[in-house]
Amino acid sequence: MEPLRARESASSGSRTNLWLAGLTFGFLGLGAFFLATATGHPSPRANIPLVDPKFLATTPWRETYADLVKAKEDLSDYDCYGCHEKNKPPPIRYDEAHKIIVPKEHSDIVMGHGNHDRNNLCYNCHNEQNLVTLQVRDGREVTFDNIPPLCGSCHGPTLRDWEAGAHGRTSGYWNRSLGDIRRLSCANCHNPHAPRIPTREPAPGPHQLRAAAESHHPED
Amino acid sequence: MSTPAAMPDRTSDAAMSRRSFLRGCAAFGGLTALAASLAPLRELGDYTSTEQFLQKYYKELTPDDMTKVIARIEGEVQRQYGVRPHVRDLRPMDGVEFVYCLNLTRCIGCRKCVHACVAENNQSRSPEIQYIRVLKMPHGSMDVEKGNHNYDDKQVPEKGFFYMPIQCQQCKNPPCVKVCPVNATWQEKDGITVIDYDWCIGCRYCEAACPYWARRFNFTKPQIPKERINPNMAYLGNRPRKQGVMEKCHFCIQRTRDGRYPACLEVCPVGARKFGNILDPESEVSYILREKRVFIQLKEEMGTSPRFFYYFDK
Repeated sequence: MEPLRARESASSGSRTNLWLAGLTFGFLGLGAFFLATATGHPSPRANIPLVDPKFLATTPWRETYADLVKAKEDLSDYDCYGCHEKNKPPPIRYDEAHKIIVPKEHSDIVMGHGNHDRNNLCYNCHNEQNLVTLQVRDGREVTFDNIPPLCGSCHGPTLRDWEAGAHGRTSGYWNRSLGDIRRLSCANCHNPHAPRIPTREPAPGPHQLRAAAESHHPED
Repeated sequence: MSTPAAMPDRTSDAAMSRRSFLRGCAAFGGLTALAASLAPLRELGDYTSTEQFLQKYYKELTPDDMTKVIARIEGEVQRQYGVRPHVRDLRPMDGVEFVYCLNLTRCIGCRKCVHACVAENNQSRSPEIQYIRVLKMPHGSMDVEKGNHNYDDKQVPEKGFFYMPIQCQQCKNPPCVKVCPVNATWQEKDGITVIDYDWCIGCRYCEAACPYWARRFNFTKPQIPKERINPNMAYLGNRPRKQGVMEKCHFCIQRTRDGRYPACLEVCPVGARKFGNILDPESEVSYILREKRVFIQLKEEMGTSPRFFYYFDK
């Protein structure tokens, strides 16, 4: 036991020095670290891309005849008698399944009004006597810039809602004494030949960890 | 190191003893630790100013005070975002109570309302704060727990689902107002529950109390690019918030108390959103509540009596 204690006391001086040197370095290192944190900058944020401005647009989906007139745009599509002959209603042809055959001059028209292709007669709405106007089934003539009465002749409740402001888009002022309300017409949103609103691309969802989202909301 | 090797060497004439050197090192470490712990205070400058700290409660502000407060806010916004805003203190109109109706038959889940709201109300872009959450729900259930707001479909709407946007329901009996310990949020007479961002202490009790997940907290300083700042601001509305305060939908106070429609309504491509004065029998919302099949006030059983109604066409 004796030699061991002697060896210990002999080396204790240098061991203490080692300890003290370690402590010194430790304090100085900690000091440097704290100084760096005190003057450092917070880590940068996640770079979330800004939303595409197209998702902020309030413009209607479609332009109606009335919009084209207002903007003084090309109205040649509505110049029926540029091609058709007056007083001679164009004939309508059907295939074996009694589906309408759209002539190639009107190939941009997709017939999709109503289920089961029942609404497949152009003259349900177009006026065969005067192609630049439309007609209601009760004989009233309707111009292209004022179509709600025509649409409402079949879609009565929808027309009633639209007139009350409950159907369709609005913008402007809810308080009519402070400003005007802007209403849209049927064809600003609906294609009269295929009125169902088509599917479209949604704006991006909340930015977050996808893994967390999936575990919370399993698709079932 | 300059530590002498011999243990019993306690020379008093040495320029620096080992003990005082070590003490100095420890003091240096301690002081820097203190500096580091106080470092967040350097950001206090854009966290609060003396004027804001001494500002009175919103309801006690005289018109003179309000002019000063608005000048302060305009200065702060210009300094921080480089845009000169037009801040107003808009008060509720007489004979007006706002109601929102949302047509679940029409909504296609395009999320345009979410982003129009962010743009209008100067919400933080990073981290993202959004007032509106669009839930994609399977047909045949009104259980919001089955909804998913993280859908990333290429095209909407998807067959077999309907979409239900949820935002602040502007309850007639708001739980969030009851729990606020400092009265920083209250219901105004036109039905809008507002927050005074200068009075909020950020305890987030209201966030916990809200059954509609409508309240959002600013965990960090909101980031808004200069070019996306909406300069038309209201004190209780869309003025930029600070770190540590709550925010939520306020029916676009800066627009609606000016007679205009909210931003989410104007951008809705299918006209599913309807807004107006319920006290006016001629308004759209009066017509809808009278004539349409108004299906729910969300979580009706909570007794919160929302001013936000969901309805169907058919």
